[in-house]
Amino acid sequence: MSARPGSHVLQVPPAALPRLTTTATLASWLTTVDHKRIGILYGATAFAFFLLGGIEALLIRLQLAVPENTVVSAHTYNALFTMHGTTMIFLAIMPFNAMFFNFVVPLLIGARDVAFPRLNALSYWIFLAGGLVLNASLLTGTPPDVGWFGYANLTSLHYSPGLNVDFWIFALQILGVSSVMSAINFIVTILNLRAPGMSMMRMPVFVWMTLVVQFLIALAFPPITVGLIFLMFDRFFGTHFYDVAAGADLHLWQHLFWIFGHPEVYILILPAFGIVSEVLPTFARKPLFGAPVMIYSGVLIGFFGFGVWSHHMFAAGMGPVADSAFSIATMLIAIPTGVKIFNWLATLWGGSIRTTTALHFAVGLVGLFTIGGLSGIMHSSPPVDLQQTDSYFVVAHLHYVLIGGSLFGIFAGIYYWWPKMTGRMIGEGLGRLNFWLMFVGFNLAFFPQHYLGAIGMPRRIYTYRADQGWTVANFASTIGAFGIALAVLVFAINAWRSLRRGDPAPADPWDGRTLEWRTSSPPPAHDFDVVPPVYGRDSFWREKYGPRRGPAPGGATAEHPDGGHAGIHLPAPSHWPLLIALGMLIVAVGGLTHVALVVVGALWTLYAIVRLALEHHRTPEHAEQRGVLGLDHRKVAMWVFLGSECFFFGTMIATFLAYKGRSVVGPAPHEIFNIPVTSLSTFDLLMSSLLMVLALAAIQRSDHRHTRLWLFGTAFFGLIFLGFQAFEFTDFVHRGFTMQRNLFGSTFFLLTGLHGTHVAIGVFWLLSLWVLSLRGRLGAVDAIKVEIAGLYWHFVDVVWIAIFTLVYLIP
Amino acid sequence: MSAEHSGEQPTVGTYLLVALVLTLVTGLEVGVIYVRRLAPIIVPLLVAMSAAKFALVALFYMHLRYDSRVLTFLFVGPLILASGLAVALMTLTGAFLVFGR
Repeated sequence: MSARPGSHVLQVPPAALPRLTTTATLASWLTTVDHKRIGILYGATAFAFFLLGGIEALLIRLQLAVPENTVVSAHTYNALFTMHGTTMIFLAIMPFNAMFFNFVVPLLIGARDVAFPRLNALSYWIFLAGGLVLNASLLTGTPPDVGWFGYANLTSLHYSPGLNVDFWIFALQILGVSSVMSAINFIVTILNLRAPGMSMMRMPVFVWMTLVVQFLIALAFPPITVGLIFLMFDRFFGTHFYDVAAGADLHLWQHLFWIFGHPEVYILILPAFGIVSEVLPTFARKPLFGAPVMIYSGVLIGFFGFGVWSHHMFAAGMGPVADSAFSIATMLIAIPTGVKIFNWLATLWGGSIRTTTALHFAVGLVGLFTIGGLSGIMHSSPPVDLQQTDSYFVVAHLHYVLIGGSLFGIFAGIYYWWPKMTGRMIGEGLGRLNFWLMFVGFNLAFFPQHYLGAIGMPRRIYTYRADQGWTVANFASTIGAFGIALAVLVFAINAWRSLRRGDPAPADPWDGRTLEWRTSSPPPAHDFDVVPPVYGRDSFWREKYGPRRGPAPGGATAEHPDGGHAGIHLPAPSHWPLLIALGMLIVAVGGLTHVALVVVGALWTLYAIVRLALEHHRTPEHAEQRGVLGLDHRKVAMWVFLGSECFFFGTMIATFLAYKGRSVVGPAPHEIFNIPVTSLSTFDLLMSSLLMVLALAAIQRSDHRHTRLWLFGTAFFGLIFLGFQAFEFTDFVHRGFTMQRNLFGSTFFLLTGLHGTHVAIGVFWLLSLWVLSLRGRLGAVDAIKVEIAGLYWHFVDVVWIAIFTLVYLIP
Repeated sequence: MSAEHSGEQPTVGTYLLVALVLTLVTGLEVGVIYVRRLAPIIVPLLVAMSAAKFALVALFYMHLRYDSRVLTFLFVGPLILASGLAVALMTLTGAFLVFGR
């Protein structure tokens, strides 16, 4: 695109950029750190898993097409609906959304990439590893068969003795790592990598929804991670977290799952809301109606999303007070959601509408999600919910939300951004056929399920009798499911034709409003030749048609074209993200087969992480990573990570306290703890924090001798703490108190053991910095690295402050 | 306001003073559990002292007192939310009942 008045030319010739020297070889894709390529990888992988999950759905519908059908056995049916749910949620919808986050968000905020490109690649490869682990269960004939929310104690060794649940645990844990890593990356990117002038309230609504979703991921995944760790320890090491005979409460799993599971609904749907909020204004040629209110509504939905999880548990018997509280909270969440619906309608009202395929899907979402939302409000009433729980009404509701909402939004986004992503236009005729087939097929498949649920058909049954009155609706539903499959086939043909011989896409095919349309289609590796000026919300529209507004307070535009940095720096490709993910895959395979593989995989992963960390240790362009907040990306990332860790340890500590006094056999805490010894170890850890800040102060004043001294001192104090813990654990075991002994032992050893693991990681990190300093490779310019390690170390310290009081001291 | 902007930086003396307070409060924590007359208020007392130590480390050693408020938001927001969820989880699983069933 031609340079605009006030813009600056590229200061580094593209040929000098390492990323641009790569060609379209397999190796270039395996080592790419380009956010656009990673976005395409997410999209292609998600589509493959989407097809797999779709085939599973078709088999489910074939089985239910007629009464007493025998297409699959009851056991296979259990596996099909488990794999279908898990695949569609974690391997299709989430990565489809990740495709848009990756490809579009940096373009929308005028950035050249995400904050941590190699971490971004790592997130993708870990996601792929998780997907492979889950689907490898099909090859071994042991697919998970406990439903996508795997309620305890169906998942216990007693009821699920095979590898089925183990595959599910490892896959979800790996996928969780990928998601949290990616979430931290995008939070930092959006907060710190915006183009000068792109204030928060000037950001497109899709970027806002992405930001909200990343916070939801970073905060909601730790509780399910903890729940899965409990399950893994119950199955592998004989602990009692979900063992009723030992005093455990099976509701714990339900709580931990739904504390994650309900925000997960918004993780799946809010990106679609963001997409629709971009598509409607473009094709109505009007600004989004009430854009600030749309942003606040999205934030409120995300916030309320953490306070409604127990509405999934009304049938569990929580009592009228809890039921009432969660019922009210659930009804409240309908308000910001309703605001969005009405604002979309108001955006279309009076607009100069162009009925493209993208608009069809966006409007489809508005209508279909409203139906799903309304049935959701019905569930917020406990008496009504009790009638609908575990019935096909719920199946209808969740599909109206996740297909009518999420998937229609994703297709709107695909048709909207396809020209930008591929550089080709995609067929509008086939696109509309795709839409209508999907719209009709979807409603035929899922609307009758409301009726089926209302007349009593339970979900998750593999067959039914002819005299139950469910035959016609089920048959219609199956026809509809194949209609959806036909729609997906039409999309695949359309996409193939576009890639093969589609018309070249101009930079701005839709007369777009936001910054991604300001660069070529597809964008160059560096996204923008110059960092684009920002004239307000809908910046590109204002640039084309006015009125232009000045830069945001404190920001700069054309006067400061590259955020204060001269030239363009793009990180070189790296193979370490792929190799780290490979190591994690080996660990998972080892967990399913032999412990030796776990050790090999863990050592390999550790080695690859160190290599990745040191890959650009001395690259001058990586020394300074400050963004628009005036903060280093790495520091912001560490604080987001620590926020996420609050949820991890909060869940662990809450479980310890919830289970306190519930053990059916001794010993009790007061019979076993040695408070004076633990007080000494606590003092030791507190003093290590003092040494840590002294190390930071030393490196900031370039006092390398003292830097080394205090770094080693901190690590040494950490080792002493671990020694205390080893002594305590050994003493307990000798006295017969183990994690298998009782519920107290399970919660105590896992909580303190995981904290000890964090300390051990910190010690390794500090010793690595110490070795770098000894070798003269840790100068004042690296103070930020010591600061970040210090933040982690102090956090481990404050967690112990809480553990010491809540676990050891409180009677 | 970031440290660079405010110009305020913690000194080594500040770090040592914080360490001294942390040591004293830890000593107090251990001491009060042996004082029987404090039994009725022991839980809030211990939680308050623990929270004070937590805050001291976060404010001074982790530099939240001197650093950008964005970082405070990124940490304290999730901390409050996680604490609320933990209390709710304990209540719902019957560890303590804020309200009756």
